[in-house]
Amino acid sequence: MADFTLTAEPFLGRFEQHYDDVKLREIYDVAVVSAAIPLRKLTAAKKAVRAAFGVDLPEVGLSALSQDSAMRILRLGTDQAFVVFPRAQQDTGAEPHIADLLGGVFYTTDQSDVWVTLELSGAGARRALERICPLNLAPDAFGIGAVARTSMEHLGTVIIRTCDDSFLLMSASSSAHSFLHAIETSIANTA
Amino acid sequence: MIINHPLLGPRDAAEFVYLGDAALIDRPDPEAENADEKFYEYGYLRDNPAGEHQELWYHEQGDRSWLVVTRDTLTHEITSVKLARDEAKKRGRDK
Repeated sequence: MADFTLTAEPFLGRFEQHYDDVKLREIYDVAVVSAAIPLRKLTAAKKAVRAAFGVDLPEVGLSALSQDSAMRILRLGTDQAFVVFPRAQQDTGAEPHIADLLGGVFYTTDQSDVWVTLELSGAGARRALERICPLNLAPDAFGIGAVARTSMEHLGTVIIRTCDDSFLLMSASSSAHSFLHAIETSIANTA
Repeated sequence: MIINHPLLGPRDAAEFVYLGDAALIDRPDPEAENADEKFYEYGYLRDNPAGEHQELWYHEQGDRSWLVVTRDTLTHEITSVKLARDEAKKRGRDK
């Protein structure tokens, strides 16, 4: 019997495309760990985040980079945060690593293969999102580090503003190609 | 319609799912003598006001919070939005 070797490929095959003043690319090998705060454990959770990442647990709607800038903590709701970081960093699996870092205070779940991540950047990034994203993305309304969960073209999306004209968009990997198509269509419609 | 979320600010109503009358927060005591009747009322009987109405909305495409929204059913004007968690605690719930 022939030997087969399976090689994992990113959801969108390392997609990267430049449009006039917009660049869209897939960010692959991203580890995503959901960290839910148990009931009445907010104080302990804040302490654990400070000890693990050297920064405060961000307020709902904000994200923060760990002190060494290796991980991004997204506060998506009162009881939930995501920790996002490059997957290759940990060989032992993302979830046990984060659970360990946080001292077991949070309920942690590995969601690495659940999300596809796109980076939309360039001077036209905000314009490219204006019809597909229901949020107000004006620079003073959605500041650097802001994060929100919303829906774009009926697909659940997490949007993060990482710098002046750069956004990360995370959506379900099971509909990765539909999501890419929606974003590309939005770029074309607003060009 | 825009719902001004207490934590997240103005968000499109498309991000939310509507459940209904906020009276659902007040679950009857199952140990009470008239529990049958109270649960019948809780399950089936609703006021249908033409005007101000307190209702539960779930922020499904958002932070997954439950809100108590006070909305005028004639004009759709929203006059108050609160976290259902805070509202339930105010009514005696312990968590």
